[in-house]
Amino acid sequence: MSLPRLNFTRQPILPAIALFCLAVGTAWADELRDQIDLRIDEKARSRQVSMAPASEDAEFLRRIWLDLVGTIPSAQETRQFLKDPSPGKRTALIERLLADPRYPVRMAEAFHVQLMERSGEDEGWMKYLTAAFEENKPWHVMAREILAPDFQNEARRSAGFFITRRLEKVGSQQTDYPGLTRDVGRLFMGVDLQCCQCHKHPSVGDYKQQEFNGLFVAYQNIKLNEPAGATKVKWFSEGLVTEKYEFTSVLSGVKGATGPRVPFGKEFSVPELPEAERWQVAPDKKTKQGGIPKFSPVSSLAEGIASVENPYFAKNIANRLWWQFMGRGLVEPLDLVHSDNPASHPELLEDLSAALVKQGFDLKWLVRELVNTKTYQRSGRLGAMKEAPSEETFAMAMERPVSAEQFARAFLEATGEFERVALTREWEGLAEKPLVWKTVKASFTNAFANAPKEPELRVNPSLRGALFLRNNETVLWALKARTGNLLERAAALGSPQAIAEELYLSVFTRKPAPEETELLARHLGKAEDKTQANAEFLWAMLASTEFFTNH
Amino acid sequence: MNSPLCNVAEHQLSRRQFLGRSAGALALGGLGGLFSVEAAEALKAEEKQVLFVWLDGGMSQLESWDPKPNTLFGGPYRSIPTSVPGTHVSELMPRIAKQMHRLCVVRSLCTKDPDHSSGVPRIQRGDPKNRGVVYPFFGSSVAKLMGPTSSNLPPYVVIKEGRGGFRAEDAGFLGPAYGSLAFGEGKPPEDLLRHPSLTESADEERNALRELLNKRYAAQHRPTVTEASSYAFDTARELMKRSDIFDTSHLPTRDIERYGGSEIGRHMLIARNMLEAGVRFVKVASMGWDSHGDNFNSHASLVPKFDAAFASILEDLAASGLLDRTLVIAMSEFGRTPRINGHAGRDHWPNAWSMAMAGCGIQRGALIGATDAKGTEVTSEGYDIGSVFHTWFSALGIDSSTVEFKHKGQPLPLAHEEMKPIKEALA
Repeated sequence: MSLPRLNFTRQPILPAIALFCLAVGTAWADELRDQIDLRIDEKARSRQVSMAPASEDAEFLRRIWLDLVGTIPSAQETRQFLKDPSPGKRTALIERLLADPRYPVRMAEAFHVQLMERSGEDEGWMKYLTAAFEENKPWHVMAREILAPDFQNEARRSAGFFITRRLEKVGSQQTDYPGLTRDVGRLFMGVDLQCCQCHKHPSVGDYKQQEFNGLFVAYQNIKLNEPAGATKVKWFSEGLVTEKYEFTSVLSGVKGATGPRVPFGKEFSVPELPEAERWQVAPDKKTKQGGIPKFSPVSSLAEGIASVENPYFAKNIANRLWWQFMGRGLVEPLDLVHSDNPASHPELLEDLSAALVKQGFDLKWLVRELVNTKTYQRSGRLGAMKEAPSEETFAMAMERPVSAEQFARAFLEATGEFERVALTREWEGLAEKPLVWKTVKASFTNAFANAPKEPELRVNPSLRGALFLRNNETVLWALKARTGNLLERAAALGSPQAIAEELYLSVFTRKPAPEETELLARHLGKAEDKTQANAEFLWAMLASTEFFTNH
Repeated sequence: MNSPLCNVAEHQLSRRQFLGRSAGALALGGLGGLFSVEAAEALKAEEKQVLFVWLDGGMSQLESWDPKPNTLFGGPYRSIPTSVPGTHVSELMPRIAKQMHRLCVVRSLCTKDPDHSSGVPRIQRGDPKNRGVVYPFFGSSVAKLMGPTSSNLPPYVVIKEGRGGFRAEDAGFLGPAYGSLAFGEGKPPEDLLRHPSLTESADEERNALRELLNKRYAAQHRPTVTEASSYAFDTARELMKRSDIFDTSHLPTRDIERYGGSEIGRHMLIARNMLEAGVRFVKVASMGWDSHGDNFNSHASLVPKFDAAFASILEDLAASGLLDRTLVIAMSEFGRTPRINGHAGRDHWPNAWSMAMAGCGIQRGALIGATDAKGTEVTSEGYDIGSVFHTWFSALGIDSSTVEFKHKGQPLPLAHEEMKPIKEALA
């Protein structure tokens, strides 16, 4: 008998029906997805929360497309999926989308937004992330490449953008080394240690001053260098660390000292080397290029943070992926994991991180498990429920933000302009200045992305976005009938029924309800210019909440 | 109406036009969750407004409101007499000195937080007792409690350096609808003007359709997102209607000069126009006051700019009569250390510092509290920010000892419940 691929250390006490499912249920490889549903169901039942039913096909279709390939399906695609009677069509679609070349692009964008928090863009960095998701590089490998970049390696050096961007001076401000230190803790371990720079955290017992300073000792010691020679990107060099870093609490006056230290974990001892042996490559005084020390705290920390021995590392990525696909972290806020802030489903978070460790930090595997759960595929509509169950029960699918990038793609896809813009063909014969994807993406990002350093965690309709949708040139450009686009297709259809169906399938990925067809018919009925009336209705759809959220 | 020749009668006429024009228009903001509906309606009917001048980083009280010339930590500047006999301010504020009869200066602030990162929000949220919720900034509270004025313009506008946009985080537990609308570099938001290809009626038509679609969607989902979206679109609509006020590219040169020709001067001038147009709460944020090094040169540069801008807006608000119903506030997150550090700078000092107020509900020509000879400690009763918040609410006619917010069914006081308004500051 082969060993099960997953081995949960702590089996929960499950209701009889759940045990039955486990005993005769699906194969071992599918266990995590079932385990997730058991945990969620169990808690909801114990709290007597009523659960939303499974999503309808159309609801699922839009959600999974946005999540896995970052856009919405075409009307044609939607028709086919809705028509398809096969019971396994959702799983089959998931597999198809996971193998789609747009999957790594979507994941790269999602991770870019999360890791850089809109504080800068870099082509090489996006290429690195996309390639990493394309080959499904394990997360601990990616994290090490990001935290201890090899600037000599052409394929990987752009991973260093995470750090080099944060070393840049903004205006008259000096390099924000504490900010970099804080972000490493927040984004790779889910712990915001900011307060601990100066004193132990006033309300979080786990967060002590040595945790911050153990990271700070490494990061305050690096220096940004301009591209030089074979290194075609900005890079950083590390200084020597020859003794422990000393700190004093501004509150209690208590002194402490630490070497490089993984928060809540291993401290690396600082080697005592004779002066002549401290450098692997000594700094060049002539060119002022930094050297390479034999003992690199930055590399030591990268290894130590992205390690199975650091439980925070696995928990953090499990919690963040859960947030990405479910709309809310098991631990909230995402960067305040500590013992007094338990997860909504503590055992589940343990299950997810243990499974991820077991699978060698295979993110695609976890994504596949997550989107195959009933929890993910639950309806986000109230249905017969009077009011929505509280979010942390996951008893109803949550509305999630559509990023600026997803919005730009979905907008172009819906209006039937994506190919023209992305592939820049079909411009011949049109007396217009070609509009390219890069420009469109930039204008949508400008309108819908948060300000730098404000994490994009929730749906956030903004005045800026509203004005953009109302008056921006790019938006209005897509609302003109043009060869092959949605408005031209709609104009060719005669009846309001046919037009409504085309519009709803193209924009909302569903068929219209009778009242919606009726609404369009009334609108068209009083209009003199039908194409103009179609455009007005289309605009209303594109500017609506239904289009603006992933629901 | 934004003529530099600020004519009272013209303003009144414009206001009547606003009232006529916006009758029946959709109200922004809202008044849910107040202690008494009658009180809320009464507040809404009053057209009180707020100008909040924020000097980010910490203005030195010794180089402004509480000079200590010829003392150990007093620094190089002299003090000058003001329009209130016996009250002196720093020589860096000659024009404000002439407005002192309109001002109420508190020299006895004694707050808790010496850090920017925590102090800035703490002061602006009023530092109430911790109830596990994030409290709103004062501007968001006013937007919630009083809503927009009859102009129906957005109730909480910020004019600042750097990037503009809609800042939901100001609102705390009140929710994104009560966040601020920020004009970065004093510029109006992009895409403010209706696109030439759209007629007003077509624009209204499609917007009404959008509302209908949203209504259908909201019936089946949690309400928050659709509410926030409606708010954003409604605000956009009102702003587009009044884009003339927000067009800041044509300010009269004469006004710009009188306001000091500086960035804070231009921003203050835009603020004046917005107050005249009926924005409920206008905040002007000035950056760069954190003078850990070279405090005296930096204050020699910054304070006169503030002086020209602040004195000018006081003159204008007084001339137009707006000052009678506009609460004016100028403050920072803390003051600066009397002790001068090794870089000729002053560090953060929450223990004893100053602020200024004027306008509706505020005592005129008042000087409240005192510090010791070196300026290091308060010698009278010290006031924390909670008391200051109660004072502001009182000045606006809101009884903060009884009116409460409601958050998820939980009543929450407007300000720290163990503190009281500064009585002498109230008219």
